[in-house]
Amino acid sequence: MSGLILENEVIPNSALGVRMGHPTTVIPLGKRLLPVVVSITLLLPLLFAGTAPAADLSLSSKTYLRYYERESAGGNEDTFAPLYEYLSADATNLGGMPVAFHFYGWGRVDLGEETGTGKTSGDIGSLYLEYLHPQGNAQAKLGRFFLTEGAAMETLDGVFVKATTPLGLGVSVYGGAPVEDTILNGTREGSALYGGRVFFARAGFVELGASYLRENGTFQGGKDRELYGGDLWLRVAPSVDLTAQATYNRSVREMASQRYAVRIVPGATFDISAGYESYTYKGLFQSTLNPAFVFPALDNNDEVQTIFGVVDWAFLPGWTLEVAGKHIRHDESDPGDANRGEVGLRHTYNDKKDVAGISAAFVASDREENEYREVRGFATYSPEKIRLALDALMQRYQREIHGEKNTYQVVASAGYQVLPALQLSGDLTYTQSPNYDEDYAGLLRATLELGTTTGGKK
Amino acid sequence: MTRRMPFPAVFGAVLIALLFGCSAVSQSPSVPPKHPEDLPQGRVDCLECHENVSAGALKPYGTIRHSRVFIDSHGTYARQGQNLCASCHAPAFCQTCHARKEEMKPNTKMGDRPDRMAPHRGDYLITHRIDGRIDPGSCFRCHGNKNDVRCRQCHK
Repeated sequence: MSGLILENEVIPNSALGVRMGHPTTVIPLGKRLLPVVVSITLLLPLLFAGTAPAADLSLSSKTYLRYYERESAGGNEDTFAPLYEYLSADATNLGGMPVAFHFYGWGRVDLGEETGTGKTSGDIGSLYLEYLHPQGNAQAKLGRFFLTEGAAMETLDGVFVKATTPLGLGVSVYGGAPVEDTILNGTREGSALYGGRVFFARAGFVELGASYLRENGTFQGGKDRELYGGDLWLRVAPSVDLTAQATYNRSVREMASQRYAVRIVPGATFDISAGYESYTYKGLFQSTLNPAFVFPALDNNDEVQTIFGVVDWAFLPGWTLEVAGKHIRHDESDPGDANRGEVGLRHTYNDKKDVAGISAAFVASDREENEYREVRGFATYSPEKIRLALDALMQRYQREIHGEKNTYQVVASAGYQVLPALQLSGDLTYTQSPNYDEDYAGLLRATLELGTTTGGKK
Repeated sequence: MTRRMPFPAVFGAVLIALLFGCSAVSQSPSVPPKHPEDLPQGRVDCLECHENVSAGALKPYGTIRHSRVFIDSHGTYARQGQNLCASCHAPAFCQTCHARKEEMKPNTKMGDRPDRMAPHRGDYLITHRIDGRIDPGSCFRCHGNKNDVRCRQCHK
């Protein structure tokens, strides 16, 4: 047994009517390994320090200073000025080998009133070493990383390995400690997460995968999360693709989600897709750590089925028409069914540096409180070292919210490229909405991009 | 209830996979870890330079074209592999939106990039009540288990 007894408590709450508790919660091996994994990940790049000149390094720093005022419950005006630093660093070709190091994280210090979660905050989004094999797209990751693989879309402290054989058969496996945050009483983060995917891929024709994921924890119903997944990309005819993705939640014996689509891409100017997707609340939300996804916030017996279509048509050089629509059907009369439609026009100019666009959207529903319309327009202009942007949005709700029917927001931005690697910019946001009679918010932004070689990373 | 962690099994599987990968990995060249040439500003169209099938995603470049259709369904493609994505996008690109803990909305961070498909524009504290009622699954992907305590101010 590899666990340390932490606490013993019983929590009288469950969305599915099952009392959940933690009679004997343990610190799992995955959590105990975390400091070791992080330490190894941080220290391993030092092994390559002697060959640093051979590495391909890039560093991105984005600093934001926001400024806004809010009226507190007592009627006082509080001033908020959170200062954020977002830092990412990527080093490839470490030691002349196909090894890379990636880091992404942010921190915040409040220069004014507390913004709600203490004077400081921050997070490490990713911190990992990666091995990219020169052949067959084989790869391995060690550390904290964001993973999308079959049924998995997770942030994980652990390992991931993937390889494909000459026949096109491949396998990926992963395991570690899930990086999650719970705000749901009675349910804690999972203690360990692992799974894998087997797949067959033939270039330009098909990729078919089957996956498995298990997360140990006491999620809804006091159960682990256990998913079986399937995914397919299939070129059935020139320019015609079928995609499918389905997940079955074995813990509650429900289909969690399904998505099937046909896509036609006859050339570089026209792209159309239509399909069907569905999910059950019980199956998809079983592992939630957020009370917004459990009873009484919503009815866990509901099921959503959606038919959707999207068109992207570059009808003239630099001009693109976008049309999207979906019909959303609920089993339950509350919230009822809804239709969403959207049409937009985008124009790209100034050697593709700038874009202007207009769009209109509506949501029509069985229930009046779920209906609104939206109109948006934006444009950018980037002469030489200056960059200007303007973005205006209007939403009109069918039923009044706090006595108001409309939201208006305008964001004006101006920036200057001080140095090839340094850009300074500022935004001013005006908002009038059911929440705000009249609100102005400011943001100053400093963007620093450093790199040792040319090459694409966005 | 006491649980035994399956890490020995997981690491055993990883070891087997490593051996499997080293001995029988496909000989086709991998997609480079970094796009060899600088990428222009704005939305990039792979088809301007590339034809046929991508070595990374093993799919035609037309499939990867960053149209509205692709952006709406990019998760479907990412779940089959991220190598080709990672050739042009640093991990931080995904995590601008797919963060486990975040305080700034993507469109606030990218106020100078209104051309980007950033969710939650406007006063989304108001609009999320409607979008969340009619399609909560779209919220769940990011907010289901990667939360900010601010959600708790109302969702108790």
